[in-house]
Amino acid sequence: MTITLALPSKGRMKEDASAIFERAGLKIIAVGNERSYRGRIEGLDGVEIAFLSASEISREIGTGAIDFGVTGEDLIREGLSEADSRVEFCARLGFGHADVVVAVPEIWLDVDTMADLGDVAADFRARHGRRLAIATKYWRLTQQFFSATHGIQLYRIVESLGATEGAPAAGSADIIVDITSTGSTLRANHLKILSDGVMLKSQACLVRARKPEHEADPLVARIADAVRAACR
Amino acid sequence: MPLIDLPPFAADLLADFERLGTVRVDTPVIQPAEPFLDMAGEDLRRRIFMTESETGKSLCLRPEFTIPVCLRHIETASGTPQRYSYLGQVFRQRRQGASEFYQAGIEDLGETDVASADARALSDAIAILSAHLPGRSLRVTLGDQSVFEAVISACGLPAGWQKRLIHAFGNPARIETLLTRLSRPQPVTGLSPEIEALLVSGDEATLVAHLDETMEATGYSTNASRSPKEIAERLKEKRALEKTALDGATLGILRDFLSLDLSLAAAPAALFAFAEKAGLALDGALQRFEARVEALGRAGVDPAPITYRAAFGRPLDYYTGLVFEIGIDGSLDVLAGGGRFDRLMTLLGARQRIPAVGFALWLDRIDQALAPQNGEAAQ
Repeated sequence: MTITLALPSKGRMKEDASAIFERAGLKIIAVGNERSYRGRIEGLDGVEIAFLSASEISREIGTGAIDFGVTGEDLIREGLSEADSRVEFCARLGFGHADVVVAVPEIWLDVDTMADLGDVAADFRARHGRRLAIATKYWRLTQQFFSATHGIQLYRIVESLGATEGAPAAGSADIIVDITSTGSTLRANHLKILSDGVMLKSQACLVRARKPEHEADPLVARIADAVRAACR
Repeated sequence: MPLIDLPPFAADLLADFERLGTVRVDTPVIQPAEPFLDMAGEDLRRRIFMTESETGKSLCLRPEFTIPVCLRHIETASGTPQRYSYLGQVFRQRRQGASEFYQAGIEDLGETDVASADARALSDAIAILSAHLPGRSLRVTLGDQSVFEAVISACGLPAGWQKRLIHAFGNPARIETLLTRLSRPQPVTGLSPEIEALLVSGDEATLVAHLDETMEATGYSTNASRSPKEIAERLKEKRALEKTALDGATLGILRDFLSLDLSLAAAPAALFAFAEKAGLALDGALQRFEARVEALGRAGVDPAPITYRAAFGRPLDYYTGLVFEIGIDGSLDVLAGGGRFDRLMTLLGARQRIPAVGFALWLDRIDQALAPQNGEAAQ
C-alpha cells in the first residue's frame, strides 16, 4: 500500500516541515522541479508526498484521502467534528504556534472573563435589540467553547474570512474569536484577550487519518515514530 | 394520495386536533434561518440543514414548528386568543434516528387565563398520548421556571446574579458551577489607577466621559455596540459586589429548593412549607402554581402520578413558566414536550405581549413505542 503524506505547499510552514522530516531521516525530495506539488522521500519507497494548502490538508485528512498530513491543530479541530475519533495527533512539531482566543474591546473594562461575557450576552438583546455578534472564521471551535464549555448560547456568529481584528471597531461585530501568535495585531486594534479566553493553543502537528489498514503497516508506524523522535 | 411515510395514526391525530377546536396551519418547509438561530442560539446551526438563497439569505429546512407558527400569526395579524395545530415534517441532524421526521402539536396564543391554558396544554397532550398508546403508563414530568425566579428574587440576590441563575435554569451542571462560583468573592482587578480613582470617587458622569473619550480616540465610538454608560454601570455593579459572596444559608435554601422532586398532588403544600421554613415570600408564584394544579383537576387530569421537579426547565430564554415532558415507562424517549413561552412572541416582533403555551408530539417516537406491541400482537 502506498502511504500519502501531505505537507504545506508554501512559506515558513513548508520549510519547517521539511526540516523536521530531514531531522527524522526522511528527507523530502520534490519530483521534477522545485515548484512541483509532488514529492517522495529519499531512499524510501511506498510514500508519496503531496504539497497542499494547510486547510486542504485538514479537509483531506478528514475524508481519509491522505494518510498523514502536517497542518495546524486549529484547522483540524475547526474542520472536523469529533476530530479525535477520526484522526490521531502523532506529534506536535514545535512550530506554527498560535492561540485561538476570545478577544473583546479593551474599553470593555467590566469584561475580564467568559462569565462576564456570558452576562453581557444574556442582556444584549434587551439592550440592543440584537444578539451579541462574534466575528470569526472558527465556527465550530466558537460553538464548542461558548456553548459546551461556558454555557453561553445567546450570540450570533458573523463570518469573517480576513482582517477579523478590525470587525469590532468597524461595527460589524462586537467581539472576535481569532488566532494570534504575539498579540500585537489585537493590541493595535484595541482588543484584549479574556483571562480565560484561550480556546486552543495550536501548533503544527503530524496528523494521521485513523484507518484500519494502518494497523498492520510497518511503514505507518515508522513514519510516526521517526517524526516523534525528531521532535524531542 | 396520502404520503406513504406518514405515521398510520396521523389521520386520527388530525381528527383529535379538530375535535379540540384548533385551527390547523401549515408553514413552508423552507424557512428563513435567522429566527431559529436568534431564538435558540448558534448551537442550533450544527443541528439544522442550512442553505443560502441566490441573494445570500440564510435559509433552513424547518427544524420545528413553534417559531414558524408564531411568525405566521404575527404576519397575518390574526387576533387572539387563537389555538393552532400542526402536523408535518421537521428536519434535524440527530445522533440517533432519521433526520427527517414528523411532529404534530398545538400552540395556544393569547389566552390570558394562564392556569387554564397551561392545564389545557398538558391535559390535551396527555389525552392524545393515552388514546394512541392504550395500556401504556405515561411518565409526566413538570417544572416551573417562574417559581425558581420567585425563589431567587425573594432571597434578595443581586439583580445580576438573578439573571445568571435564571439563564442557567434547567441545566443542573451550569447551576452547580454558578452556585460554586457565587460562593466565592470575585475581585475586580486589572484596572488602571485613573479608572480606579474615578470608581472610588463615585463620579459616574466623569467615568462615562472618560470612557467616551477613549472610545473616540481608539475608533470605537461610531459602532452600535456597548455604550460608555452601559460599561460604567456594569463596572460599578461588579465593584459593589466584589466582596459579596453567596452565604451558606442562602445556598442551603437554593439547594433545598432545587432538590424538590415529588408528586404534583403534594407539590403545592410542599412548596408552601418550603417557603415558610426558608422565610421567603413566594405567595404570588405559589398561588399561580396551585391554581394550575387545580385547573388540571378541573380538566380531568389526576396530578398524583405527575412528577414535579423544581430544577426541571429549558435553558432557552423565551421559556417563562410551565415546562413538561411526557414519556412512557420503560423508555427514556420524550414523546411530547411543551411549555409556556410568554417572551417568544415579542422577541419575534409582535408589538404586544402575547402569552403563549404549547406542546409538540414526536410522531416517530410514538410510532416506535407502538412497534413492540404490534410485534407481540402479530406473534
